[in-house]
Amino acid sequence: MDMKRSYRDDLRLFPGGGTMAAYAVLAAILLALPLVAGNYMLSQVTFVFINGTVAVGLMLLIGYTGQISLGHAAFFSVGAYVGAVLQIRGVPTLGALVAAGAVTGIVGVIVGLPALRMRGIYLAMATLAFAFIVEEVIVRWTSVTRGNRGLNIPDPVILGHKLSTGTDIYYLAFGVFVIVLLAVINILRGRTGRALAAILDSDIAAECMGINIALFKTIAFAVSAAATGLAGAVYGHKLGYISPEQFSIQLSVEFLMMVIIGGLGSLHGAVFGAIFVVVLPQAILLAKPLLPTRIAEQPILDTAAFGIIVILFVMFEPRGLNGYWVRMKAWFSLYPFYRRGMFKRGRIAAADLVKH
Amino acid sequence: MAALFEARGLAIHFGGIKAVDGISFTVDAGTIFTIIGPNGAGKTTIFNLVSRIYRPTAGTILLDGADITAIPAHHIARHGIARTFQNIELFDNRSVLQNIMVGQHVHIRTNVFAETLRLPSVIAAEVKMRRKVEEIIDFLRLAPYRDARVGGLPYGVRKMVELGRALACEPKLLLLDEPSSGLNVEETDDIGVLIGDIRDVLGITVLMVEHDMRLVSAVSDRVLAVNFGRQLALGTPAEVQRDQAVIAAYLGSG
Repeated sequence: MDMKRSYRDDLRLFPGGGTMAAYAVLAAILLALPLVAGNYMLSQVTFVFINGTVAVGLMLLIGYTGQISLGHAAFFSVGAYVGAVLQIRGVPTLGALVAAGAVTGIVGVIVGLPALRMRGIYLAMATLAFAFIVEEVIVRWTSVTRGNRGLNIPDPVILGHKLSTGTDIYYLAFGVFVIVLLAVINILRGRTGRALAAILDSDIAAECMGINIALFKTIAFAVSAAATGLAGAVYGHKLGYISPEQFSIQLSVEFLMMVIIGGLGSLHGAVFGAIFVVVLPQAILLAKPLLPTRIAEQPILDTAAFGIIVILFVMFEPRGLNGYWVRMKAWFSLYPFYRRGMFKRGRIAAADLVKH
Repeated sequence: MAALFEARGLAIHFGGIKAVDGISFTVDAGTIFTIIGPNGAGKTTIFNLVSRIYRPTAGTILLDGADITAIPAHHIARHGIARTFQNIELFDNRSVLQNIMVGQHVHIRTNVFAETLRLPSVIAAEVKMRRKVEEIIDFLRLAPYRDARVGGLPYGVRKMVELGRALACEPKLLLLDEPSSGLNVEETDDIGVLIGDIRDVLGITVLMVEHDMRLVSAVSDRVLAVNFGRQLALGTPAEVQRDQAVIAAYLGSG
């Protein structure tokens, strides 16, 4: 335990030297990973970063502001297409990435405005409708998007350095992920984050504290969309080719699963969720030979497994993977005094839950 | 003494029901003004009109001489009015500290872009805000609960947290909706002293709705008695308690 001596100490990103060291080690491992990992492994971790970027943005919207979205695949596609089209037209990659985030953020504002009047299932339907509209636009606007034929994206160039290998893209995805993560952490621990949390718990009290609910809900949508758009642009570079069918409703559902399985209201959870959706199909692939042929050959095996897992999480661990993480940490720090049932009925150590 | 707050002919009708029907009163700066009345008399409705949760059918609300009848609800705090709720409206999943920090919302002027980059100005604003919040935590003796999740705290403490959050708005006028409800006799005595301190030490004008006549008599400078959305009596606590119309409203005319 590090002693806090001033309010400034309480504002630091890492509460203590131990946490900072742990994150430094993690960062070092991730930076060094291309030296040891094969192409396939590296590719999977790249997808974790891309998904993680989306999950962090979506967590801000769903987990911290309480607004649902089934349209994030559309934001993802807007970012991917803006990034790709600009890249093809010769805009420098960094500029194209920033534009992808900015344009998607603006689209987020446009979607967010009507969303102010809706919540719950109605908001889910509205965002779903928005996703269909975007998909239609991409398919039909052939002069820009080439419709269903898709777009081939040239290799990105950053500061004169051509990113052509999987390793290059790995670092690009890593960089974007870290930047988005830090941005979202900063937003959440500032005035905006407190306003969002207030709206989530009691909008009437939030309004009486002077919080402009419409403004902050729109900000949440914009930030969430911008993060997702950035991830989409990176995704385009990762695949080198994008077409409308990559951004289906199923992708939106997968994004939603990341934040639910990860654990609503926690950025750790967002990252756990991103890892989970990348690892699960792999795990299913590995498990296939062990399953009876009749089941193993079912084309919907992945989807079914996802569905069952979400149901199980909602029933037995609504705090998601992050719930396990918090308990595991508590077990280690309290050992040997940990009791079973300590975390039943929300008796969880308050400090662990309220700090992110 | 100068009038800080004034309501003129305030009225709201829900369909045919006249919940508040032409109420007028002024609250002088540095005083405690209490609204009393039987259940359903329209006391909380008056509060909801003042904090703009409802839009009045008729009438004017003035604060410091400025007409605030038509401003949006989220501007009320900026004009210097903060409130508590009869049934506690806290941000249950947050800590005591985080709840009270929300009260400072209108006093921090950082924008989302500066926050994203965590500019030095943002950190300076956060430290200044924290200093103010800690003063309030000390004033209300909430230090033992600073990092506890509000949802799990006892009722009396939660009421204090809500009061702290309202004080963090640094209001000119503090609206307290039944500060003693749900509290036992000792806690009610404590809150009486505290309300006095809010007026005398912090210099904040208080407008409250209260049922506990012992508390009302102990702290109020002026009392307004209402029933069926209309004024019954207005004066010092002693005057209002002697008023025949008030006695009739509470006990029935005999």
